Amino acid sequence: MIFLLLIYAFILIINVPGLIKRKEWRELAAFSFLYVIAFALGLMYVLDIPIPSPMKGLQHLIVDIFGIEYPQG
Amino acid sequence: MSIEKGKISSQQLLFLIAGFVQGSALLIDFAVGITEHQTWMVIIAGLIITAPVVLSYVLLSKMFPGMNLIQINDMVYGPFLGKAVSLYYIFFFMMTLSFNVRDVGELYMTFLVEDMPFVFLLVVFAATCAYAATKGLEVLARISHLFVVSGLFVIISNFILLIDQMDFSNFLPLFELPFIRIFQGIHIMSVIPFGETVVFLMIMGCLNRTELAAKSTFFGLLIGAVSLLGVAVRNTAVLGKTQTIWTSTSFQSIRLINIGTVLTRMDFLVGIAQTVLVFLKCSIFFYVLSAALGQLFGLTSYLPLVLPIAGIEVIIAATVFQSPVDHAMITQNAGIIYSVPLIFIFPLLSIVIARIRGLPKPEGGKEA
Amino acid sequence: MRKKTCLSMVKLVLYFFMMLTLSGCLGAREINDLEIVIGMGVDKGEGGQISLTAQIVNVSSSGGGPSSSGGGGEGKPFWNVSSKGDSIFEAVRQITHMTGNRLFISHNQAVIFGNDIAAEGLQKYLDFFLRAHEMRPTALILVAEDKASDVMDAKPETEKYPALNIAKLVETYGFTSHLYKVNMKDFASSLMSGTTAQIAPLLSIVKEEESEDIYVSGMVVFKDGKMVGKLNHDEARGLLWVLGKVESGVLDVSLPDGKGKAILEIMKAKGQVTPVMEDDKIAFQIKIKAETSLSEQTTTENLATNEMFEKIQEASAEIIHQEIMAAFDKSKEFNADIFGFGEMLHKKYSEQWKKIEKNWDEIYPTIQLNINAETKIIKTDLLKKPVSPKKEEK
Repeated sequence: MIFLLLIYAFILIINVPGLIKRKEWRELAAFSFLYVIAFALGLMYVLDIPIPSPMKGLQHLIVDIFGIEYPQG
Repeated sequence: MSIEKGKISSQQLLFLIAGFVQGSALLIDFAVGITEHQTWMVIIAGLIITAPVVLSYVLLSKMFPGMNLIQINDMVYGPFLGKAVSLYYIFFFMMTLSFNVRDVGELYMTFLVEDMPFVFLLVVFAATCAYAATKGLEVLARISHLFVVSGLFVIISNFILLIDQMDFSNFLPLFELPFIRIFQGIHIMSVIPFGETVVFLMIMGCLNRTELAAKSTFFGLLIGAVSLLGVAVRNTAVLGKTQTIWTSTSFQSIRLINIGTVLTRMDFLVGIAQTVLVFLKCSIFFYVLSAALGQLFGLTSYLPLVLPIAGIEVIIAATVFQSPVDHAMITQNAGIIYSVPLIFIFPLLSIVIARIRGLPKPEGGKEA
Repeated sequence: MRKKTCLSMVKLVLYFFMMLTLSGCLGAREINDLEIVIGMGVDKGEGGQISLTAQIVNVSSSGGGPSSSGGGGEGKPFWNVSSKGDSIFEAVRQITHMTGNRLFISHNQAVIFGNDIAAEGLQKYLDFFLRAHEMRPTALILVAEDKASDVMDAKPETEKYPALNIAKLVETYGFTSHLYKVNMKDFASSLMSGTTAQIAPLLSIVKEEESEDIYVSGMVVFKDGKMVGKLNHDEARGLLWVLGKVESGVLDVSLPDGKGKAILEIMKAKGQVTPVMEDDKIAFQIKIKAETSLSEQTTTENLATNEMFEKIQEASAEIIHQEIMAAFDKSKEFNADIFGFGEMLHKKYSEQWKKIEKNWDEIYPTIQLNINAETKIIKTDLLKKPVSPKKEEK
């Protein structure tokens, strides 16, 4: 948990002051967008909230709905 | 307009591609369970099928000089559809990168350090790759020489060390397996080591001279394919029938090296070599992913995006599969199917559409 | 300017911190926390359980002379620890009840299975040894004539540790070629083939008044992991001739005129097997080429002439022929394809193999062997002529 906060604080410190100083607002916006997603995911992982796996969804989509599958074994 | 200002030479492109394909050396294990002793054939077939496709990437890149994939998509498919296609690509980059990072983690977890918390390994590895990506494309291109040469050295020396344990009759009978398996094997091979080079569509725009691009790409693929063949042949000759039961065939082959009671227990060599090669592959991926996202958002620099992307990738890598079994099952099925349009269809489609619409137009109105 | 030095200071601290924390790993185990296992034995315990014996190196012992008392004495350089469990992994962990540390099996040289386990079937017990990530596929696999734990107790004379001694015995099979070295991967490989029988060296104990010695008395033949029979030394060598794995050994040739013996040392041997399938008749052409040297003779007649050489070569080829046939006949007794003939057919005639694979057990006894053995005597060591009194008539 602490690790998570430390790492994300670190990322923030490294990136944000530079961006603000150079007035790169667009970059800051994109950065924040991704940062929030990353942080949220990290929090979910640490708090043991199950994160849905995109590949499972894709597998379900391809196999069950489209019916394409290689024979097993 | 393009997000990357650096330039690379075609020789550097060659080594980047070779190192990238070499990074998939242990990933052929996905096919070994299916094609057993015919894996070498499947690698060659994969190369033959994918090489023209990759050369079409070069063609596409030459048609739109200096532009990377996202820009090309915008031009060819229009602003909305283009962004949709780009998002599909970005999804692919994200997923594939997380698979590769996870693969390194699984390797370490199974063989080398059992007790470490998985996430920690992933964080350390991802952090290193992300750091490399922040250094920029030119740096990555420069170090790729080193990695490719050392990768070749490791593969060749392992091969030589195991020669006395090789039994080449393990390759017979030559055409034993049912065709559907071979087909799946070829599918896996053309997508995973060779097809993933679609990421280079983000990089080929940065060539300083494009005349030698096609040759460099082809030779890069060739060197990569030879490395993969070296690994596949060594594993089949040494392990024979037992190939299909080990979690990692390369590791087990290396463990059998036993020369003069001095050269034993070399499995760490495989660990190091593989880590190093996958590091190059993942660094390239990180760079490509950040640059793609940066281009999509219209930024001037992709640098600030790298670290948050790393954070996302680590969590995805940690949670996307439950175990190596899951990983293998999904990769052999859905994993290679959803990437087929991206690798085979879209670039060729883009070339055709661009030709029809006469793109790129010299100035002004580019889309209807 | 100040910002720059401030930043570099922060970076320096960060690097230092990373150096301290990131190097090394969580799973590190110090040497004195390890129980280094050099040999493992598996027997049947009571109540259907497995009795596992692990030979642990006694790191703190000064390696003094062998003590006469039983296990655990201070002078003994090794320690045989036993435990029971329902599965091998469970037994391995149970050992920590006695050792306090986890076993470190990376240096395991040999896994010895007791007679009872071999008769029941090894298949069940092999998985752990292949799957455990500390085990190496180069570890040897052997069968004890009776109990594995007895074999591991027998103290060798010139070697400190019984397990290393056993490993040495098997690795130097080339001196006689009366046995063969089988490691985990080879055993697994032949298990995975549906038709090839597995083999492993057989360890027996010879008891004299006070000391016990271990020696390899032959090979054990398995079918699907179950012990079905044994090969003695000559039969084992017959097998090795066919596999082309004979390195060196002694050929005892009785001279045709009954005057004595010529003893040959095998210098090099090559074996080539070609399967031939016509209609439904399966035959194997076996070509053996051996180079020997005359190492001893018991008659005073001078054998170093071309005619005598011819006769001896013929006789020794005949011996090779006999050894191979002995091996084949023995294998027919248990109906076990120890030579891997089935797999050879598979590789050459894969179409037909698919049809007959299931019936290989019935077909095996009917196959023909055409053996063509050739030996050449290439030197006579240091004597040109034997020691013999000069005879008046020549």
